[in-house]
Amino acid sequence: MARAPPSVSRRLLFAVAVPLVLFFALTVAVLDSVFRQLADASLRELLAEQVVALVTAVDLNREDVLEVNLLDPESRLDMPGSGLYAAVRDQNGKLLWSSASLNGTGLELGVPLAVGGVELRTLQARDGTPVAELSRGLQWVYAAGVSKNLVFTAADSTEPQRQQLWRFRRQMAGWFGGLVLVLLATMAWMMRRALAPVRRLEQEIAAVESGAAQGLGTAYPRELAGVTKGLNALLQSERNRIARYRDTLGNLAHSLKTPLAVIRASLGTAESASAQREAIQLEIDRMAQIVEHQLKRAAAGGGVTLGQASVAVLPRVIELRAALLKVHADKDLRIEVDVPAQIGFLGDAGDVLELLGNVLDNACKWCRSRVAVSARLDAARLPSHRLSIVVEDDGPGIAATDRQRVIERGVRADEHVPGHGLGLAMVRETVALYGGELLIDGSPSLNGARVELQLPGR
Amino acid sequence: MRVLVVEDEAALREALKADLTAAGHTVDVAADGEEGLYAATEYPIDVAIIDLGLPKLSGLDLIRQLRARGKSYGVLILTARDRWQDKVEGLSAGADDYVAKPFHVAEVQARLAALLRRVGGWASPRLACGPIELDSRAQTVSVRGRAVELTSFEYRILEHLMLRAGEVLSKSELTERLYAQDFDRDSNVVEVLVGRLRRKLDPDDTLKPIETLRGRGYRLSLPRNSSAADSTR
Repeated sequence: MARAPPSVSRRLLFAVAVPLVLFFALTVAVLDSVFRQLADASLRELLAEQVVALVTAVDLNREDVLEVNLLDPESRLDMPGSGLYAAVRDQNGKLLWSSASLNGTGLELGVPLAVGGVELRTLQARDGTPVAELSRGLQWVYAAGVSKNLVFTAADSTEPQRQQLWRFRRQMAGWFGGLVLVLLATMAWMMRRALAPVRRLEQEIAAVESGAAQGLGTAYPRELAGVTKGLNALLQSERNRIARYRDTLGNLAHSLKTPLAVIRASLGTAESASAQREAIQLEIDRMAQIVEHQLKRAAAGGGVTLGQASVAVLPRVIELRAALLKVHADKDLRIEVDVPAQIGFLGDAGDVLELLGNVLDNACKWCRSRVAVSARLDAARLPSHRLSIVVEDDGPGIAATDRQRVIERGVRADEHVPGHGLGLAMVRETVALYGGELLIDGSPSLNGARVELQLPGR
Repeated sequence: MRVLVVEDEAALREALKADLTAAGHTVDVAADGEEGLYAATEYPIDVAIIDLGLPKLSGLDLIRQLRARGKSYGVLILTARDRWQDKVEGLSAGADDYVAKPFHVAEVQARLAALLRRVGGWASPRLACGPIELDSRAQTVSVRGRAVELTSFEYRILEHLMLRAGEVLSKSELTERLYAQDFDRDSNVVEVLVGRLRRKLDPDDTLKPIETLRGRGYRLSLPRNSSAADSTR
């Protein structure tokens, strides 16, 4: 079995932590390097000053004896092992003078240098202390024409500097490490908070699965509201569909029982064979009608579901217009179409064809010669009522008192035109599945019936 | 009249055959789509009754193929699936009318009679005579690309005139296109319809598409534009 991919919060945390740690590591490295450069520069400056001080303190008498008169009697140069050292050599490297502080350190200060030369070296005292020294070659003039080349060297222990560097590093590590930990902890907490709705969604879905809940709750953040709304719509439409199938089966079984009972009865009681035939024929017609009605009911797509594409209305109307002109060829029909091409129905393509087919077919049956179909979108209305399809005819219309009766199941306003009531009852049921509405009215322009379907559209 | 019945359900096929024979028709039967297509294209059929759910070749394909081969007689479809989707598919494939199962034979007889009267129209999806174009699939007409709103009677008269462009058609021949029964033969319906057609097709009276031949009938004076899709009768 493949391992489950890491959780979203772990991925996010990882994605944030890696650049964060890299960033701080880089910062620390840069700061460290800058600090070291600054420390080196200041050490060099200090040594250069010491060399200058040494030069001013030196006096060379005629006998070639070097005298050093330190200005400060308390100078660290006089304290053995103080860390500050100085020495003077001649151009051949012979030591002419060295500071008292050098005693016992084992350091060999100074290098042979030409006049004007400067050299920085690092040494190590006998006790392991690192020492940095700066040597400078100078020409010493006694009198006119008499001169001597000397090398002046000053050295200082770098131990304090090293300690300072490590103190600085420890502090940096402490601060930045703490900062990284605080930031990551904050991030983890934020992630938990941000993903809380997802966990809630998971729990609610589990509740739906186990049957403890009928649907998902509301009040989800905007990013998830679409998903939860879609899931709820899907659940609702599935539930409707199941309810409808159950209804259909129940209705079918019940409504077939009556004609079956009549047939059975007529087998026993009918006086003549022809009367029996007639009775059975009648019941067969009834059964055929029942089957047709229930099949149509069950076949309807059933409401808006998740990811429903919109179905263009105009091509359906054009197809139906051509079909109805053929079917109602015995009439001088004129079907006017006023449907903008971009109007779409949000639902099943078969449903919209069925709805339009039934309503238009009725209009064609009842009209004298004119039928008009139009469609409009009204964004101001409820989503389930946005698309309005109006079919009008110039027939006798439906009396106000009959309008309710006509759309109820199986009732016909006029028994002479078959299928009128049945068709509209079906239309009403399908429209209801989409949460829309069926309105029957008189047509002001054509003086016949006006049937309006309000449906979800885009 | 010679009627072709293509139906795979033997009981139904034989019942239809018996009833239609009794009504005075000559009946050919076929039990599947391929057999049906052979009969539909080889015999001089006047009208066909075709079930949509056929083995080997579906009813829809059968209708499409016989139309593609230039057969223009009336086709009545039988369908058990009473959804508009199926009806529209059948009608736009080239059928002229439908009867939903289960049906009464009397209903089939009535529809058949009506078809025999009026049909003759279905020849090709597009007809053109001069600037007048007719789309028989969508039942729309345009002149110089501009759509013209016609009633179905006006449309049928025009379609017939265009199909037989250049020929003289009598008033009673045109009336037969409109009505299943013999009533109204003497009325001036055709005159009225032709007058309306002239106004709609040629509002500024420059084209003069329909000639009146006194005592004989009407003639479309514009020649049929030949095109590849245009199968002849």
